[in-house]
Amino acid sequence: MLEMDLALPWRRPVPQIFWFDKRLRVWFSAQKRPAPLAIVISGTGSDANTAKLSVLRAILYGAGYHVLTVPSPTFPGFIVAASSTGVAGDLLQDGQDLYAAIGEIVAHLPRKVRVTDVDVLGYSLGGANAAIVKSIDATEHKLHIHRAVMINPPVSLFSTIGRLDKLYAVSLGNGDAGIERFYQQLYAQLANAYRASGRVELDEDFLLGAAAAVLKTDKQFSAAIALSFRIALSNVFLAGDLYSGAGVVTDPAHPPKVGDSLEETAQSLRSKTFAEYFTRVFAPYYLKRLPNATVDSLIARNRLEVIGDQLRTDPDYYCLTNSDDLILDRAELGWLEKTLATRIAVYDHGGHLGNLGDRQQAADMLAMLDGRWQGSR
Amino acid sequence: MRLRIGCAAAVLVLAGCATREVELHRWPAETPAANNKADIAKMQGLQATAAAAATLATPQATEQAQSGTEPPPAPVKPDDAPSLKTYDPWARLNRFTYRFNARFDEAIFLPVATGYRRFVPTPLRGGVHSFFANLTEVDSVINYTLQGRLHRTVRSFGRFVINTTLGIGGLFDIAARFNIPYEPTGFGTTLAKWGMHPGPYLVIPLLGPSTFREGVGYGVDYATDYFINLADLYRGDQSWGLGVANAVDQRANVDFRYYSTGSPFEYETIRFLYMRKQLIEDAGLHRSKPVPKPKPDEPAGK
Repeated sequence: MLEMDLALPWRRPVPQIFWFDKRLRVWFSAQKRPAPLAIVISGTGSDANTAKLSVLRAILYGAGYHVLTVPSPTFPGFIVAASSTGVAGDLLQDGQDLYAAIGEIVAHLPRKVRVTDVDVLGYSLGGANAAIVKSIDATEHKLHIHRAVMINPPVSLFSTIGRLDKLYAVSLGNGDAGIERFYQQLYAQLANAYRASGRVELDEDFLLGAAAAVLKTDKQFSAAIALSFRIALSNVFLAGDLYSGAGVVTDPAHPPKVGDSLEETAQSLRSKTFAEYFTRVFAPYYLKRLPNATVDSLIARNRLEVIGDQLRTDPDYYCLTNSDDLILDRAELGWLEKTLATRIAVYDHGGHLGNLGDRQQAADMLAMLDGRWQGSR
Repeated sequence: MRLRIGCAAAVLVLAGCATREVELHRWPAETPAANNKADIAKMQGLQATAAAAATLATPQATEQAQSGTEPPPAPVKPDDAPSLKTYDPWARLNRFTYRFNARFDEAIFLPVATGYRRFVPTPLRGGVHSFFANLTEVDSVINYTLQGRLHRTVRSFGRFVINTTLGIGGLFDIAARFNIPYEPTGFGTTLAKWGMHPGPYLVIPLLGPSTFREGVGYGVDYATDYFINLADLYRGDQSWGLGVANAVDQRANVDFRYYSTGSPFEYETIRFLYMRKQLIEDAGLHRSKPVPKPKPDEPAGK
């Protein structure tokens, strides 16, 4: 497996505290013979080597693809190294940045690698990014992307994040008190499980094994999911605040320097919602940048409907999702089913990515990628 | 010898200062079949741990498990959790050391460990790992004795004897096949058992996250090994080679990459997790005693 660290020419000046993110890090697994290339885009806030990407890499590599995994445009390493704005979360702008970055990466693949076809796929937010990247390629023709497969994609970014804010508010409450209470519960449960186990070291195996005993109720699971999205948001928020000069959590005149404590910034970001990111960082930045834009038009351009025509008419867009995925509501799932017609597989169970890599899901994904998909049976 | 190591290190540091447009790092080849086998073994281990954690966490099961030999552990309550803050009075120095460690790891440590994983066959690496693990049994025997956990002293001593003889100088972990698990300990844990608090968070050059107490523990463990000088491994030029090989073996077996989170909050996150890990392990050492209630707003570790 090849790790590629790229310095991209359009990178903006790097804020000091992001000194380690200057290069875009991607991973490539090459077949020895000529093969199609599968480009896989990671989910919200994630890098190019997550456990979910490992699952997809193993499936795709096993099926004979060269596999290139790239981070989400909301991963801080991407925002710093490859974003032309530094303010992540805009589906079209992120798609443009991803498209340009993938172009550079493909141009630097080892010379002996021979690519017969190019497909793109992604999970969660990466699914929507994959579809946008293919739609950009349909006009620019630089990568010659053949098929795009979206795995558990959102339909409307801002409805999804609204739902995540709500999930957070319901499961953890607002402010620091909710997080502290949740942390105290987890700490006590973990300490009790550890004391009872008689182990001498609290290692990774114990933690993973104990997770099932520690997260006991649906509410605790919801809190853990909401918290993991909030942690991803805090990086996006901080980068956006620094790049746009919004000054919500940092002082634009005196940005934090290497070695400064970020404890207070982290604490203040813990209570910041996705909605706050939109209203205080994202919207002011894009309203200034895009002529004639309004708040409503910003929300509208972050729906998959912006490429609705392509999704409807181009037979090379596919989707795999679950009817109980928390990032979609009934209407959004209905829209996907209506738009993609037979090019969508909807499973009854799996939630958000819970069935990623399952036998049926993997087989369907491969069938879609090589054009054998005949519709759900 | 030291001059040569210094020159090699300088070359590697310069090589690590990436200036080219694309840097390529080749990682060990994918071997899905081997990975599946390892994953299945890991999954079985995790299921066993999950089952144990789920059953052992219930008070009745705990009492049964103790079968009267030890009092049941006193339950830890949510209010016993330390605050979200961590005691870090040396933060400025620690942050500097963390950055130094990250750069050193990226330029030297990780490439060497990756090359070691790529080019040295798995059985040989397994032998090296077992060899170094076996050497740590000496510290374990001493420290389990100091901690008054004599059944563990006997177990570590038994492992050392079995692996040194049947395991050919520790190259094979034969004791594990007799279901005697490897559970090392050191002077840091002994201090914890004697009641010493973790103290300030401390990032040690090259070694990484620690606390004042654990730092003292590392120092005493090293001094003990130097003083005992088992098989003349800890003094003279060969001790440098041994130290480097041990470091490479340890790095090759740790699945951690500095700043892979991409987050500027990584220092805070690691500090938070490390200190809670220490405190939970401390709670495990004093199973029958209630956990001391933290004072409001007192940072964890103080």
